[in-house]
Amino acid sequence: MQKGFRRNFDPIRILTDSQVEQLHSSTLQVLDEIGFKYESDRALKVLEERGCIVDHDAKIAKIPPDIVEWAIRKTPSSFMVRARDPEKSIRLGGNTVYFMNSAGARYADVDTGKVSMPTLEQNNEAVIVSDALESVHCFPSYTPYFEIEGVPPVMSCPTSCAQRMRFSTKPSRGAQPTDSFIWETQLAQAVGAQLMGCVEGAAPLSLAEDPCNAAFYYLEAGFPIYIASGSLMGASHPITVAGATVSHNAELLAIIVLLQSIRPGSGVIANNFVSGMNMQTGDLNFGTSAVALHQMAYNQIWHDLYRIPINNTGSAFANSKMIDYQTAAEKLPVAMCSALSGANLIVLHGGITGELAYNPILAVIDDDVAKTIGKIIESFNITDDLIGLDIIRQVGIGGTFLGTKQTRTLWQTEDYMPKVYDKTTYQEWKNTGKKTVIELAREKMEEILATHKPDPLTDQQERDVEKLLREATEYYKNKGLI
Amino acid sequence: MDGILEQLKSMVLDFDINNAEKAAKDAIGAGVDPIEAANALTDGIQIVGDKFGSGELFLPDLVCASEVLKKAFPVINAEIEKRGEKAKSLGKVVLGTVFGDIHNIGKDMVATLLYAAGFEVIDLGINVNSEDFLKAVREESPDILAMSALLTTTSAEQKNVIEGLVKEGLRDRVKVIVGGSPINQEFADLIGADGYGATAPEGVRMVKKFLGIK
Repeated sequence: MQKGFRRNFDPIRILTDSQVEQLHSSTLQVLDEIGFKYESDRALKVLEERGCIVDHDAKIAKIPPDIVEWAIRKTPSSFMVRARDPEKSIRLGGNTVYFMNSAGARYADVDTGKVSMPTLEQNNEAVIVSDALESVHCFPSYTPYFEIEGVPPVMSCPTSCAQRMRFSTKPSRGAQPTDSFIWETQLAQAVGAQLMGCVEGAAPLSLAEDPCNAAFYYLEAGFPIYIASGSLMGASHPITVAGATVSHNAELLAIIVLLQSIRPGSGVIANNFVSGMNMQTGDLNFGTSAVALHQMAYNQIWHDLYRIPINNTGSAFANSKMIDYQTAAEKLPVAMCSALSGANLIVLHGGITGELAYNPILAVIDDDVAKTIGKIIESFNITDDLIGLDIIRQVGIGGTFLGTKQTRTLWQTEDYMPKVYDKTTYQEWKNTGKKTVIELAREKMEEILATHKPDPLTDQQERDVEKLLREATEYYKNKGLI
Repeated sequence: MDGILEQLKSMVLDFDINNAEKAAKDAIGAGVDPIEAANALTDGIQIVGDKFGSGELFLPDLVCASEVLKKAFPVINAEIEKRGEKAKSLGKVVLGTVFGDIHNIGKDMVATLLYAAGFEVIDLGINVNSEDFLKAVREESPDILAMSALLTTTSAEQKNVIEGLVKEGLRDRVKVIVGGSPINQEFADLIGADGYGATAPEGVRMVKKFLGIK
């Protein structure tokens, strides 16, 4: 199993106990008084049997507080996601932190910022790169690219899933749109893996038919579920951090009520993907302080009170179109806040240009970012040996620690040295071609592509995957979607 | 009368949504010419729009100002029609989010900004199938058809609608603009759309451009 990073100190708490109670109580009130819309008769039936008050015409279920709290209790505080290679499985929950690859619609050129449709080869190479990066522990759905040249849009999720099964042994998330869950479930099963099945709501306060169907399907397959409700503060959620926290919690808990009503005890990881809104253009506004605060409040509630595994997506993207200082300024503070405040899974590597683009070179740089964050949250140990009073005495006044065994044997574990940041002196930098972090990361990426060979599928698995893709294509052709 | 007209304009500038309908009724009740009342409201939204364009005001301000109009205009327009006249409009726009897609924020913002700018807006909602778009073009004869898609899996629907317009001989009757996160100019050109708006304000600028409005 992948180890991830163990947070060795208590998560940062920004709310008082009374504030947590107030937010939770308000959340229960929203679900009890306003309710939640489920666009699925099958889901509404299950909820009504559970004890929710259902208006079938409006497709709204009002959820009494005791049912919400029952569902929270039923949700395990940790669960395993089985990867194709068991060594790459992950256990989500508690104080372990993993990182998830990000994604983008298209490929962004690092030199020009130009966004273009990636080829299947570019997609596969990006998967291979992330498979090699130690701090990428798992993949989301339709990643690294939402769109692939020559692949009909309705086949992008199943195709993306297949390529991840082929070129990585790490765990993955399954998507939900247009019955893709039917094919992604089978693709994962064909290679002996599980998926985190995505069930994503539409803020405010609703779940469309596709994700309802995905919930039933993934749960029947025995897969854990990744719930989400992407939203914009000031548009689909309240503009206030407090209001957005309540509204968002209500949405996710409403989905959990459905999941636990279908199959009690199912593993769930709850994703926070609340974004700011650019009030000039209406576009998503990444990397803001409100998002960081919202995630921290959310993490505290879900870690301490609900004890349900947490994902944070706030650091997945930047508005910056180039890999530059702004990219880091938009992603890193939010990622750091996530790690410090209780997240179990943080989406980070490779996303740029809003959600519009991805580049594996950025994923390579983000590998160093993730490892730095991971090192920070793992903190440091204090023992008599590590304090080393005898060494301090030995070096004395005006001496050096450089020649000590302690320095020689421990420098690499006491700190993290990034692999692709430029750490040369100015003179060396000049003499070696003035390489930037982008150039160094590009070299690393090329080295990975030349040397890293993910475990291939067996011949039978490859045949099964190919067959499933053909069946999926036929299925969508018969539906008139290709 | 001038005082009442000034009050209507101020109501927009003050984002006084709660009193909008009553203020409109009071104005009509006081004998204010409904066309002049409509002009006062439009003057107000024009100032808000100008301030939005200059960065002094933001989207929430524009949307709130539009909400004032949405409350007041039905009263004003009913009086205009009662007098046998026609409410002014810069043009007619049919818009919706395509089939399979339930995202509505961007579409709603475009609808609001168009309404605020003085267009007649027919919002078909979300998850709108091709046939409903075509039916709306046939029946409403809009100047513009605007389609939103936020998922790459649904953006292809925009192409289906355009192909449907061609097949039914409706393509030349309407300008088509597309928008949504996965959409770009290249895609818009590929599917035969007339225009593409990267943001809601850009979408409105595009509509005005097609209709020759400054």
